[in-house]
Amino acid sequence: MADTDKALQELEDLFAAARSDRPAVPEHLSAAILADAAREQAGFQPERPARAARLPKWRQLIEAIGGWPAMGGLAAASAAGLWIGVAPPAFVPDPVALAGYEDSSTVFADESYDIAVMLSEDLQ
Amino acid sequence: MSAAAGEVSDDALLVLYANGDGRAAAELTARLSPRVFGVAMRVMGSRAEAEDVTQEAMLRLWKMAPEWRPGEAQVSTWLYRVAMNLCIDRKRRARGGHVDLDAVPEPPDPGRSAAEQMQEGARQDALQAALMQLPERQRQAVVLRHLEELSNPEIAGIMDISVEAVESLTARGKRALAAALAGRREELGYSDG
Repeated sequence: MADTDKALQELEDLFAAARSDRPAVPEHLSAAILADAAREQAGFQPERPARAARLPKWRQLIEAIGGWPAMGGLAAASAAGLWIGVAPPAFVPDPVALAGYEDSSTVFADESYDIAVMLSEDLQ
Repeated sequence: MSAAAGEVSDDALLVLYANGDGRAAAELTARLSPRVFGVAMRVMGSRAEAEDVTQEAMLRLWKMAPEWRPGEAQVSTWLYRVAMNLCIDRKRRARGGHVDLDAVPEPPDPGRSAAEQMQEGARQDALQAALMQLPERQRQAVVLRHLEELSNPEIAGIMDISVEAVESLTARGKRALAAALAGRREELGYSDG
């Protein structure tokens, strides 16, 4: 029994010595592992530049302004602008008034003085 | 192989590597490859074989990185398991084919003087020779428990066996090692006192 205990204790001592004397990884092995890592990692990278270059010009233009959602917004804004121009709603201010005139009649000094009178006077 | 406080975990480093971080591979290699190499050296008993196993295990780690799910398992446990399976595969192939002389530990030299035999190097050679006489699974369990100091549950996860089976393998392995070394006590410079 005592012999067994002694043998096991000596074995524990051998284990302890082995733990404190780990073999170092050779440099050439570390270099090979890192080369493998770099090669594998290169395969993970997405190929975005190549895919973008294959798009036709009109698709590239759409992508440049923000894709199809942006195109939808642009179309809606254009349609609204055209509608307001053709049939302006009541709340849209008169552009003449915005220019500083109350209405178009103030352009003339006399309300009774119209273009027909002016032309007839010139002919005389 | 667990990360110290404030240190980036193996898990996080593997995700960084998969996302293209070049430094992550260097850090993982520095942390993990010495452990794999040390275990493979003890289990295979050959430096050349251990180098091949280490490079192959690390290559499998790099290939698996994009599919790794952080938090589900420990990177080190996964890597030990791969390394141990690679060791078993190589041993099986060696048994079926030629015997690699490099894989067989050198027999003790009876011509050595008692003073030389007392050197620690000789004792470590004797330990390695005794380890190589153990059955494959006993050797793996003893190396992971007593040289890598892993817990029994972790070894159970690596070897895909129960904790009780790990305890049984390590106990039988230690007894066999002690018996093998007992016959060489005098040769290795151990006194009876």
